[in-house]
Order: sequence, then structure tokens, then C-alpha cells
Amino acid sequence: MKPTLSSLPFEQADCSDDSGSVWPRASFLLEAGKYGRILRIALVERLAYRLDFILSTLLRFLPMLTTILLWLAVYAGAGRLSEGELGGFSLNEMISYLLLVHISRMFSSMPGLAQGIARDIRDGNLKKYLLQPISLLPYLLAYRAAHKVAYITMTAVPYAVLFFLCRDFFAGWPSAPVLLAYAVSLVLGFLVGFFFEAALGMLGFWFLEVSSFLYVVGTLNFFLSGHMFPFDLLPATFAHILKNLPFQYLAYFPAAIFLNKVPQDMLFSALATEAAWAIALALLAGWLYRCGLRRYSAYGG
Amino acid sequence: MTTVTTPLDAGPIIETHGLTKIYRVYQKQEGLLGAIRGLFRRRYREVRAVDGISFRIEPGEIVGFLGPNGAGKTTTLKMLSGLIYPTSGTARVLGFVPWERANAFRRQLALVMGQKNQLWWDLPAADSFALHRAIYSLPLDQFEQTLDELTELFGVAHLLRQPVRELSLGERMKMELIAALLHQPRLLLLDEPTIGLDVVAQVSIRRCLREYNRRRGVTILLTSHYMKDVEALCERVMVIRHGQLIYDGPLAGIIEQFSQSKLVKLQLAEEADPVPFRRYGEVVHADGPLIELRVERQRLPEVLAAILDHHRVLDLNVQDPPLEQVIARVFEEPLAAHETDSQLTPV
Amino acid sequence: MRALLHYARVWLAFARFGLMRELSFRGNFLIKVSVEILWLAILLIFYDMVFTHTRVVAEWSRDEYLFFVGCYYALGGVIETFFLINCSEFSELVRTGDLDFYLLLPANEQFLITTRDLDWATLPNIFLGAGVSIVALVRLGWPVELGRLLLFLILFGCGVALAYSFLVILTAASVWLVRNQSLYEVWWLFTTFMRYPREIFTGRWAYPIGWFFSFVVPVIIVTNVPARMMVKALEPELAVYTVLASVVLVAISGKIFRLSLQHYRSASS
Repeated sequence: MKPTLSSLPFEQADCSDDSGSVWPRASFLLEAGKYGRILRIALVERLAYRLDFILSTLLRFLPMLTTILLWLAVYAGAGRLSEGELGGFSLNEMISYLLLVHISRMFSSMPGLAQGIARDIRDGNLKKYLLQPISLLPYLLAYRAAHKVAYITMTAVPYAVLFFLCRDFFAGWPSAPVLLAYAVSLVLGFLVGFFFEAALGMLGFWFLEVSSFLYVVGTLNFFLSGHMFPFDLLPATFAHILKNLPFQYLAYFPAAIFLNKVPQDMLFSALATEAAWAIALALLAGWLYRCGLRRYSAYGG
Repeated sequence: MTTVTTPLDAGPIIETHGLTKIYRVYQKQEGLLGAIRGLFRRRYREVRAVDGISFRIEPGEIVGFLGPNGAGKTTTLKMLSGLIYPTSGTARVLGFVPWERANAFRRQLALVMGQKNQLWWDLPAADSFALHRAIYSLPLDQFEQTLDELTELFGVAHLLRQPVRELSLGERMKMELIAALLHQPRLLLLDEPTIGLDVVAQVSIRRCLREYNRRRGVTILLTSHYMKDVEALCERVMVIRHGQLIYDGPLAGIIEQFSQSKLVKLQLAEEADPVPFRRYGEVVHADGPLIELRVERQRLPEVLAAILDHHRVLDLNVQDPPLEQVIARVFEEPLAAHETDSQLTPV
Repeated sequence: MRALLHYARVWLAFARFGLMRELSFRGNFLIKVSVEILWLAILLIFYDMVFTHTRVVAEWSRDEYLFFVGCYYALGGVIETFFLINCSEFSELVRTGDLDFYLLLPANEQFLITTRDLDWATLPNIFLGAGVSIVALVRLGWPVELGRLLLFLILFGCGVALAYSFLVILTAASVWLVRNQSLYEVWWLFTTFMRYPREIFTGRWAYPIGWFFSFVVPVIIVTNVPARMMVKALEPELAVYTVLASVVLVAISGKIFRLSLQHYRSASS
């Protein structure tokens, strides 16, 4: 009954295979034939792929419905349906928050990253990194970044539709500096998520079976990142602790910026802190990697 | 150790008439227009996996089902065990209609497929057997007696408590066979039982099956494309090709029926150029003074006479080609016009 | 009767060997259990946090809602322990053709396929959920009414039967569907409807949806009806409807499952 770890499906670069049928006409039609092929691919195959994709995304949005209804009921029960707030969040802000958290997660979720690293370690695929002048982390980072770009581009439309349908919950766009800070926080969130998961994956150098541990972390993350609900609803001490942990950058922080929950004069320092965390995690992952690799090669690979 | 007595109906244990299974294979159409057309109306091609097979098997027989890949052996076996509905034709197995899958029917039957595992992977074989006992409701003492007998026969008693994943392929296959025989089925169907196994394991399993048939009279029907399986176990062989039964009888008769040639092995007095020998038949092998020819049977007398006339022969030997070769050639016969590939996709 | 005993014995064998297999991976087992407990903790923290801000949610008071949570968790535990892994492995059985082995055994295929493995790691959930519910009852000062308890257990059983039927339908569908979305994910989505009191479906848009998923595709009533039975006043029509719906759905899902096996059998070669 826990949320599954995998992020949205289709989080992979779109690489459809052109099986290339021979166009059985005279050679001067070969050019037209090529375009015909491209058209065929574009229409028939992408259509089926898209339909599937739309279906999966729709299914993904379904829990949002019940979540929104629940919070409506909570606010109604507290008598704060039309005005008033819980934990500093009005009803509209709460629902906006829950929607925005999806966007944050789009940037910061790293499905399969830690597992993949641990598996490569276990299967002995890291030998090539011992021999070749490429390092694992920069390679994986570039790979993930490319994936994310493709993925975000693909999911842009369904999400745009969803946000359009829910536009009444939003108080409009934030000001330009806030919007800029929001964008920066998302990118930094990507880095925090990446290096955190990468560091977890590095544990595979020391422990044989990492996947169950990753599962624990994933479950905790759901709560600690603010994905479930904003920290501000918790008692002050807990909220304070959670706002100082790096997990907030995976969900809570960008959403809070967008909703103007972070005072404008503190924006810069908050982002700087996020950047510092990203760097710290990057250093940690790198250090674990080097230690692990040394240990790995000591055992003869 | 009593042999299994056949109850009321002492008739054949398997009887089929015109058993047929036809698959529709949908064909993807070329080009953009084709793809769109394919959304509305799909063209399909019929593949006759099994085409009007009729035979009878009496209790206690060990029969081999020989045929190339895609000939319909596995499909037939699956129809006999009730897994697949036939398109047409009838079959009675153990007195039941197999595809109705009555519990009483399934209790008397066992199917083992080579390279497929039905035992629990992480647990010792003994535990899988205990599970079998529960499912088949076998009384404990009968179960233990049967298990002892089987493990002693197959020589795997010491491996019972080892997790199945740690066993070698041959040992795993033996465990699979034991699992199949625990409920003392009257009919044992085997689909490529020795495939992928090393020679020692193959020989051992054949020996055990033969012995078990002798002791218990269990009817065995096995498919294989290893000649050795069939030679070692079966007195009767059915040959299937393109879904049709083209031979049903003793093993020796295959050569009679299918082989149109004989092998002539010559040892000449001196080294000879094989080229002139080509007019007698196909030169299979040429190594200095030793030449091996494949000669058509009808031409044999004249060829022998001609060879003896024109060459100095130290030794001459006329043999049937090995069974494998005969069968292989039978299998290689070109396909009929309407069947161009044997790839079946689920409808 | 003999058949029932036979199936009980087979099931016990499944349970025993499932446990042995699970224990052979001991460390993993403990971690899995920890994750389940962690998840319950998170659910309870969420619940606690919500009720520090309000006294009632969708007409359910704090302790009534706690009972609901315990009910949901226990019911989820039943499905996850006894059925979920089996159903999620079904599509793999179909793909590899190993389903054949189950078709050859002299027992009901649906029983064999849906109960052959037990997830012992989620078994504690049933007790934890029950524990949470008992705590809620104590806080409500609930007078021990055996009749009500009996009715609750019957309706809880109906809820399990309904959830099981939906799971079977989803499982059977994997025989026909080309694309294989992980059953776990689809099931998780399903449970979002079981997770909350029915009363959250108020409002112009939500009410019809709530009605649809209560009476046409009866998912919402799975947890709602037994929980309401216990801590609120339950309309008798709803109880009767639940019992009927579960009987009908078990029958329908069984039919669909048989159809899926037939389709598998006609398509395999």
C-alpha cells in the first residue's frame, strides 16, 4: 500500500526503431518514399505509443482527484473552506501545492538510478571505468539530464492540460524574480536528487543487497520531501527540522517558492543553501565512488 | 512392485482421429496505406500446426514422436494433455476427452517439458514434492514409498534437500521427472526431455525411464529431435512433418521407407581422384584411398559392378545411412506452397 | 466438504513453503516488514497532523477516522499477503508459458494461481491494522456488541471478496493486453478509492463519481461499509447491497478468469 518508487512511466528517451520497409517504386520516388516512411512512423506508431502514454498519464492523475477531495473535506471540517488557512496554507494554496509538488518531482525523481548503479557494481560492469578515462558520475549525470529534457518535453502537454483545468486553485503567476528563483530551484532540485540517489547507489560497493534499503529510503522520502503534505502543517519543531534537511528540495522547496511562501529577501540565501547542499551531495557521491572503486579493484574486479 | 493395471476399459490409452490445430497468423501490412487498412480489416494466414493426425497407443508402450522444429509435436502433446483445444478431430486419452480437463483425468497424467521448470526455484526439491503430495492428495505412506523408489532409481536421494537452483541441469531434470511420477500417472508425456543436457545425464535418464516403464507399465510418449533418445527408448516411432503423420511403426522401418540410398565405403588400392566417382553417386567423403559414396538403391548393383570393373578395390562396405541422416533428409523436404514460415504468434 | 478440506490442506502447504522461502532470505524479510511498519507510521502521522487542525473530516470524527484507517490497513494487508504477488506474477506465467503447469494440476486453477504464494512480510499489516482499529474503538468507548462485531466481520469479508474480485479481473486482463503495465501500479491506483470515507465525494462533480464507484464499480464500499457498520450508523440497504455485490462480483471475476484461461489456451502453441 505504499507509493511505488517508479516515477511516471515513459521516463525514457524516445527512441523508436525505424524498421524501414522498402518502397517498391522507381528510384526517383525514393525521396518521397523516405518521407512516406517518416509519415508512417509518425502517424501509426507514435499514435499507438501516445494513446498508451495518455492512458498511463491519466491513470497517474487519478489519485490527485481523491487527494483534492480529501483536503476539501479537511478544510470544510475545520470551517476554513472559503477562507482561512491551515499551517499558513489556504485551501487553494494547499491544492496548488499538491499539484506543484508533481512538477518538483518531475525534476528531482531519479527512477532506477541507485538500483542501476548498485546492479552495475554487483554485476562487475564497472571494470571499464577502471580502465577508461571516463568517470561514472559525469556520464550518468549527462545521461539523466538528457532523459529529463526529453521526458519533461513529453509530459509538458498533459500537465499543461491538468493545470489549466485546475487554474482556479492558483492565485495567478508569481512575480518575475520569484519565477526565476523557482526555475533555479527546480534545476538545483534535479542536482540534489541526482547526487543523493547516486550516493545511495554507491552503497552497492559495501552491501550486496541494496534494493530493500532503497525501498525504505523511498518510503521515507515520500514523507520527508514534503510530497505528502507541506511541512508547515506539522508542529513547529518538526517543521523546522524538515526545512533544514536536503529532502525538502525534492518536492517542498520549489513549490513553496512558487506560492510565495519564501520571503523575497530570503530567496537568494535559500537558493544558495540549496546549491550548497547540491555541491555537498556531489562531493559525497564522488568520494564514495572513489573509495568504493579502490575497494572494488582491490578485490580484482 | 506391482504393475499398473488398466481398469475397466482395457482399450488403447490414447486414441485420436483427425486431430487438427489451425492457427491464424495476422499479417502486418506494408506501408502507410497498409497500416491504416490494417486498423479496419486484418489479413491473416492459416498455419496448420497439426493436420489430421490419427493414431492409437496401447498401455505400456513407449512411443517416440519424431519431427523437425515446428512440425507439430509439442502442439500434439499439448492437445493430448488438454492444454490446447483442437480445431477439429477427436481424441480420447485415458478414457477422457483431454481438453475437458476433468480432475480425474489430470490425476492420471503427467507432462514434463524439457528446459521448463515447475519445481519451486528457491526451495529443496523435497519441498516441491511435499507440495505435490498435498495437491494430488496422496496418502503419506504411498507417497513416501513412491518417493523412495524414484529417488533410488534416479540416484538423486542425496540431493533432495538442496535448493533446486543449485542443482545441475541433469539433476534438475531428474527431479522434474520424479515430481511427474509421484502421483503414479498411467501416462507420461515428455516434450524434449533430454534437450540441453550433457551426454551422461541423457544416458542416465533414458535408462531410468526404460526401467520405470518396465517396472510400472506406465505408457510413455516422448517427443524429441535427438535420434539417440528414440533409439534408446522407443520400439515404435511416429514421424511428423508439417503437422502430418508420415510414418507410424517400428524404428527399423524408417530406413526402409525413407531411405533411397545406401552408403558405399571403398578402400582402394591406391590414392584416387574422387572426381570420376561422381557419376556413381554423391561423394560424401574422400580421403586418399578411402572414398565414401552415397548411391541410389536402385542403381546399387550396376554401380558396384562398375566400380569393381574399373578400379582396384581392397575393401568394400555397403551400409544403410545413419538413421539421423535419413531423418534429417526427410525433415528437409521443401514446404508446401502455402506455408512459408513456421513462426506462430498468439492470435 | 472433502474438497474444502483438500483445498485447505493445499493452502496450508503453500503457506508453509512460502514462509520457508521467505525466511531463507532473512535480512530482506526484516527490511520488508520495517518498510510496512514505516508506512503505517507515516499514515498515522498524517492522520494525526490532519486532526490537530480539524475535529472532523468528511463527517468522520477523529477516532472514527482512526478506525477507518486501521480497517483500510488491515484489508490492504489481507489482499497484499494472500493475493497480490500471485496476481502480479500471472502475466509472467502467461508470457513464459509456465501457466501450463498450473493447468495440468488436478485442482481449481484460479485457486492455485491466486493463492500459491504468501507474502509473509505484509502479514503483520493485518494485525497492525486490527490493533489500530481496536485502539480507536477503545477511545470511542465502544460497547462490546457481539452482533455488531459479527456483522462487521461479515462485511469486512465482503470487502475482501470485492477487492479480490477486482484484482482477479485486472489479472485476467493481462492475458489480452499487449502492453503490460505493472499490476502493482494499477492496483495502487485502485486502492486510492478505497482509502477515504465516501463522504469526501461531495460537490457537483464529485458526487456522481462517488456514486459510480460505490454502486457501479463498487470499490469505495470495500472499506467504507464495514467501517461504517462498526462506528457509525449503517443503512441496512447498503449492507445488503455490499453482500450481493460481493457475491455477484466473485462470480463475474471467476467467469472472466476462466475466459482468460481459455483465450490463453486457444492462442498458445
